Amino acid sequence: MDEQYAKLRRIVIDWLDDQVHFGEAEDKVTDDEMSFLKNGILTSLGFVSLIVHLEDLLRIRIDRKALTRENFDGLGKIVRYVLAHPDFKGVP
Amino acid sequence: MSGNGEPGPGTPGPIWTPDPAVAARSGLAAFQAWCGERTGRNRPDWQAFQRWSVASFRDFWALFLEWSGLAFGGDPSEVCRGDAVETATFFPDLRLSYAENLLRPLPGAGDGAEAVRFADEAGAREVLARGELRRRVRAVAEGLRRLGLREGDRVVAIARNDAAGNVACLAATSLGAAWSSVSPDIGTGAVLARFTQLDPTVLFCCGSYPYQGVPRPIGDRVRELAAAIPSLRQVVALDPDPATGEGTGRPVATLADLALTPADDPAPWPRFPFNQPLFILFSSGTTGAPKCIVHGAGGTLLQHVKEHRLHCDLRPGDRLFFATSAGWMMWNWQISCLASGITSVLRDGSATHPTDDALWRFAADEGVTAFGTSAAYVQYLRDAEIVPRERADLSRLRSIMSTGSVLPDSAYPWARDNVGRVPVQSISGGTDLVGCFVLGNPALPVWPGEAQCLGLGMDVAALGPDGLPVTDAPGELVCRTPFPSRPVRFWNDPEGKRFHDAYFAQNEGVWTHGDRVVLTGRGTARVLGRSDGVLNVRGIRIGPAEITTVATTFEQVRAAMALEQAAPREPGGSRLVLLLVMAPGAALDRPLVLRIKKELSTRCSMNHVPAVVAAVPDLPATFNGKVSERAARDVLNGRPVENLAALRNPESLDAIRAHPDLAVR
Repeated sequence: MDEQYAKLRRIVIDWLDDQVHFGEAEDKVTDDEMSFLKNGILTSLGFVSLIVHLEDLLRIRIDRKALTRENFDGLGKIVRYVLAHPDFKGVP
Repeated sequence: MSGNGEPGPGTPGPIWTPDPAVAARSGLAAFQAWCGERTGRNRPDWQAFQRWSVASFRDFWALFLEWSGLAFGGDPSEVCRGDAVETATFFPDLRLSYAENLLRPLPGAGDGAEAVRFADEAGAREVLARGELRRRVRAVAEGLRRLGLREGDRVVAIARNDAAGNVACLAATSLGAAWSSVSPDIGTGAVLARFTQLDPTVLFCCGSYPYQGVPRPIGDRVRELAAAIPSLRQVVALDPDPATGEGTGRPVATLADLALTPADDPAPWPRFPFNQPLFILFSSGTTGAPKCIVHGAGGTLLQHVKEHRLHCDLRPGDRLFFATSAGWMMWNWQISCLASGITSVLRDGSATHPTDDALWRFAADEGVTAFGTSAAYVQYLRDAEIVPRERADLSRLRSIMSTGSVLPDSAYPWARDNVGRVPVQSISGGTDLVGCFVLGNPALPVWPGEAQCLGLGMDVAALGPDGLPVTDAPGELVCRTPFPSRPVRFWNDPEGKRFHDAYFAQNEGVWTHGDRVVLTGRGTARVLGRSDGVLNVRGIRIGPAEITTVATTFEQVRAAMALEQAAPREPGGSRLVLLLVMAPGAALDRPLVLRIKKELSTRCSMNHVPAVVAAVPDLPATFNGKVSERAARDVLNGRPVENLAALRNPESLDAIRAHPDLAVR
């Protein structure tokens, strides 16, 4: 696994643990490609909070129009979107 | 600024002004004119009218009772017995039925008019006409009567925000029982802490509730609750699922079972004293178990009808939706709208399912004219950059109301630009009075961040540090003369000590609400937040003790303190902070933080989970050993510590101040 992918993945898992699943996020996200919404990992409301967190932490701006299921509904999708973001300078 | 709701050019000033022609047709204008005729003195000026309603509060409430056309018996001539806010009794010789007043045919809202429109996130829908709702209520009431429910009994409910919950509530209260409900997503510990205090005889419950597309069963919680309440004689399922209520060890009936024997619809409704207990609500204090606040039928009804008809300008044909659950007082506030012929629009489920704009699509589909929400939801919409007016046809919308927590100034232009050119009415009061101290007004402009006016008949003031009223400066929100929706009492508080301590100990003789407020010279109000230790998280009030009790069950934790910290980036504008003093040899590591959070989410609710858990060497305490939440709160929020000299360990504040996790971005 690419190092930046792994670091970003950890950021999302940690956030899920802190905010929603309290230590069980890694167990619940059994596949990076599974849908967060369909599997009860995160609600739409939670998605917005996660996006705000990523924006603050990584100093990027995420276009809300890009917040589609295709781009964001899953751990792998979120990480790949951020990795491809033009302003992403790496995990601090 | 034009007179048709057009916004100003971006300079400080009102963001919305009423159309004078529309204001002249409002219920408030009609009542003002009618009072002028009856008293022989017109008071077209709002502030003069409000001042009169307070100075002559007995005349005001007597006239409003008459004008409202509410059904009652007995003698209304003694309006208020006593002058002390703490002990005064309104209409001691009057009898009425809350259910009768909500369900009888009204001018413009006969039996065929819509009473309730309901939909859930999965698309289930139900529309009930007033006549049908009344027939169901009477039939279920007859079933409850046959089961032995009597005047003065308590009934409790774990209810969805649907028509069945409304039917159950009105049926039980029509017999003189007191109703108390929670939403099905609340944790077992929180339900037990509330309902076990009431010794209820009947439990209404749903079997599950939908959230984000997934049915969430609550059977285990219901069984645990039933086992903890020996007084319980009957379980009534609010849904047709045969599994609902199973295993409780009590007889189970469904609402449909209860309604098998139709009641005699034309029979007179039993009427009860004006102050008959109607609702028992719960409010989290700073210590101990939740307070059981008993609200009387007449005071609740009169206050709500005043607010709906005069302040919100609602009438038959209006459709009122408030995003609430059966565990919040806005549920009780909303059901009362039936007494004014307003259609009550209910929704159950997630606000963001099946789409992120689900509430607005729902509002459009149901033709909502008054949309009630919270600061946290508005913040979500802004963060998600959702533009409701682009997603749904909101042309029927006449107003937006917001309550629960403080709506920031910037939310007002956001609503204007993204929802529509309708007034945003910030309303504030709460569970303690099952109504509002400050709220909207169809004849006044809306200033960003401010409630339009003080409630009619409510002697609201802001007391400064010297205990004297202040204007245009922060003060403690108080009410100085009696008002009818003051709680009748607290349950299990025979001497009234807890009741006194909650509202009357701080400023003798006046109701001290626990909010900080600025009352402006133009008559508006800016609520600043809580002045006591009660937490307000995304609009949900939480007692610190609910959190610290759970945290201190961990052997690694010696002491705990839960606090609210202003955090503009968070939904609702604040976040929950849990300070821990660790036991000797114990350390606060991430696994422990997560275990504490998990325990709080399970035993209480997700709203009880702190955003930050931080270990500190000591908690601030006074010389007599009492921990000082106030000092910690001042430090967390960057304010000067007012009681610094009273602390035996002021250095404890330095550790809080310097903790990196406690800095707000």
